[in-house]
Amino acid sequence: MSDFLQYLISGLAVGCGFALLASGLVTIHRVTHVVNFAQGMFAVVAGLTAGSFLSVGLPHGLAEVAAVAVAGAVGLLVGLIAIGKPGTSAQSALIATLGLGFAAYAVEIMIWGDNPRSHPGLRGTVEIAGAYVQKQSFLVIGVTAAVFAALLAFFTRTYLGKALSACAANPYAARAVGINVTRMGLVAFVLGGMLGGAAGVLLTPLMPISYNSDVLLITNGFAAAVLGALNRPGLALIGALTLGVAETMVAGYYEASYQTVVALALMLVIMIWQSSRRTALQEEAAR
Amino acid sequence: MSGPVIEVSDLVVRYGTATALDRVDLTVGAGELVALIGPNGAGKSSLVNAVMGIVRPAGGRVRLNGRAALVPEGRQMFADLTVDDNLKLGAWRRRRVPGARDTARVYEVLPELARVRGQRAGTLSGGQQQMVAFGRALMADPDVIVVDELSLGLAPKVTAGLAEHLRDLNRERGLAVLLIEQNARLALELCGRGYVLEAGRIRAQGTAADLLASEEVAAAYLGGPAGDVAAAKEAAMETAKETAKETAKETAKETSP
Amino acid sequence: MKPSPRWAAAAAVCAAALLAPLLLSETQLPVYIVLVLAACVVTGLSMLMGYAGQVSLGQAAFFMIGGYTAALIALEELPTWLGLAASPLVAAVLAAVIGVPLLRLRGHQLAFATLAVQLILLNLVGQQEWTGGDIGLQGVPRLAIGGYEFADDVAYAYLALAVLGLTVLITRNIVKSRPGRGLRALATSEVAAESSGVPVAGYKLAVFSLSAGFAGLAGGVYAFYFGYVAPSSFPVLLSFEYVVMVVVGGAGTIYGALVGATAVTLLLQLLNNIGTMEGMPAAAPTVLSYAVYGVLLVLVVLFMPRGLVPTAAAWWERRRSARPRGDDPASDGAERPAPAPASV
Repeated sequence: MSDFLQYLISGLAVGCGFALLASGLVTIHRVTHVVNFAQGMFAVVAGLTAGSFLSVGLPHGLAEVAAVAVAGAVGLLVGLIAIGKPGTSAQSALIATLGLGFAAYAVEIMIWGDNPRSHPGLRGTVEIAGAYVQKQSFLVIGVTAAVFAALLAFFTRTYLGKALSACAANPYAARAVGINVTRMGLVAFVLGGMLGGAAGVLLTPLMPISYNSDVLLITNGFAAAVLGALNRPGLALIGALTLGVAETMVAGYYEASYQTVVALALMLVIMIWQSSRRTALQEEAAR
Repeated sequence: MSGPVIEVSDLVVRYGTATALDRVDLTVGAGELVALIGPNGAGKSSLVNAVMGIVRPAGGRVRLNGRAALVPEGRQMFADLTVDDNLKLGAWRRRRVPGARDTARVYEVLPELARVRGQRAGTLSGGQQQMVAFGRALMADPDVIVVDELSLGLAPKVTAGLAEHLRDLNRERGLAVLLIEQNARLALELCGRGYVLEAGRIRAQGTAADLLASEEVAAAYLGGPAGDVAAAKEAAMETAKETAKETAKETAKETSP
Repeated sequence: MKPSPRWAAAAAVCAAALLAPLLLSETQLPVYIVLVLAACVVTGLSMLMGYAGQVSLGQAAFFMIGGYTAALIALEELPTWLGLAASPLVAAVLAAVIGVPLLRLRGHQLAFATLAVQLILLNLVGQQEWTGGDIGLQGVPRLAIGGYEFADDVAYAYLALAVLGLTVLITRNIVKSRPGRGLRALATSEVAAESSGVPVAGYKLAVFSLSAGFAGLAGGVYAFYFGYVAPSSFPVLLSFEYVVMVVVGGAGTIYGALVGATAVTLLLQLLNNIGTMEGMPAAAPTVLSYAVYGVLLVLVVLFMPRGLVPTAAAWWERRRSARPRGDDPASDGAERPAPAPASV
């Protein structure tokens, strides 16, 4: 029972990280229809940057926030390249973000080398009903809850947030009222960068990150987001938490090396199940 | 304000190798009601998009003297947002966050909307959505509104009610209107002046009365030879007023719980 | 209507490819063999991307399946030629089986699904005893066909070329055939193709399976040439590399696949030479190769979205038609449909 509780809470923490990543993916996809393959890279950049900031003496909190800001700036850069040129199709933009992921590898290896790195988070453990849970896990869960609440408020209460939703709902109407849809897309990329960055900063103390951790991060983020067809942050959150808990349980009770297989298989099953309820006509019409 | 609010000269719009508009000239004076008629695919929407800055012209010039707002073809609601939020986003061009005072002014002009302000726009009827599209355009505090296909997909009496609103706005606030319509009779009866667009070029222009009287226009767009225009106009006005009242009652019934 | 320059170009390419193994140095030959094998994989992937309009981010999985199939059969002391013959078959059959559910997905979903398949496969292969776990299968014997043993690099270079020749011939015949025209319709709109009687699902599965077969065959040669296979020989990055090659060359053309594979390999090799020069940091080759992938991919996608070969062909056609006739609007030079529609 104490094992179960421990796996559950640390699984939820990992799932929260995936959820932040997935929400960035969803934010960008809703506004721009681009599936951002570089989403995992934002987490890697922020995780590694936070470590560097800490090592030069920045205090906790400030270092993490600064790293998230850096990820936001990287998000802007990715957005400028992926959607800045008029007439770039969503598929071309996906491939461009794949390319940017590679370019980021080059920069990351130059700065941080190619070994996994970690930085200390909240130290210590808490005992609950016989289970020892890292304090960092609670921090991740708490921060994620706060971020999701802030995100919800942003999209439903602020003018800018509503304008972003408007671009997602009807780009032509958005243009008709004078909203610059490309600029809103860039705002979405900055947000996506910061959300990915938050995931990286929070997860790095739990699991060391290296330049090529982005593939697993993006696959997990995508697997979570795909539950809501990349458009619904709420479903992405549920998907991410399920994924995090399932992976931790598999690793804990069965075999650590099978945890990603479970996550990936789950993603395949969900996608195929969803596709059986759609037709090609619907998809082509939705373009 | 002096001079035209919309001045289009020598406008060329291309999509790839296809030319949608070929050296088009068009003006809308301050406080003027102007109709643009023409068949499907004539380039009307290209003109709208060029005027609103949604497509970049390949040649020529669009000059706006004041603020223009668009009532887009097919209403184009932000379906998941409330009517209130739809209206507020209409003020985007004013570069400040609109408040309740701004929407209140629109609800005053379009009282039908006040009753559904909290509803999601996607759940409204076609006529109500067109009303929201109107209100959204008004939120920009425009000098001219461009209405792309007023009647499309709406019942005749709903259209007539909306036309009545347009006329009132024009009369009471001096709002200039560029009305793009497939229903040529409706457009020319509402507006003082009109243009006929065909295959990307202006084929005819003049006062509404002249266009209504022209054999060519009548044959192509009004479904028969030009008749007694004045009488037809009179009759149309009467029915329009009648139906406008009915529509108002109708919408009231539809929306009150 | 002008076959002569076309045939001349093809003949020149063939001659150069056939002469190369004799002229290249000992250190250059392995690069050449890997390049030719990559061209086989890329030819299939290019068809999948250009005609079926779908991106596979897991094509190296089929290369891996081919490699492991050949290695397992050869290590069982069965005839090695059987291993080579089985490698494309196993890969193609496996692709056909997983393709049935997988190909219901499109665009980015299929891209992620194929990536997931490769990650799962890598994970499983790395755990099983019969696949040698993370260490893989060592000591694969040399390939022998009818008493002839492929012993040195030159022999393997010609073997790889023969495999590439077969791949290109099959692809060319399919593209020129009646089903090939159906495939073109598929690339533009699945719905339109379906309504004009093209069996969309069947064709997509066939292309997917065929492209997997090409990759499998190349993987078989790879296993015999290097003598071992391990999960680390087939990383996800290899799949991405194939996509880069397709995009750079131009999806849906055979020449595009060949040019893409060649251009990317040569560029990487050049940068590798620079990166390993004296005074360069140890990480320089890796950094440079990633930078090249990234920059190439972004530049080509944004500024040459149809890829090198179709863009160059269109430019050439335009130049040629501009001279005699003057103001005729530029015709769509390349003889293939526009690149994959955005089904993301």
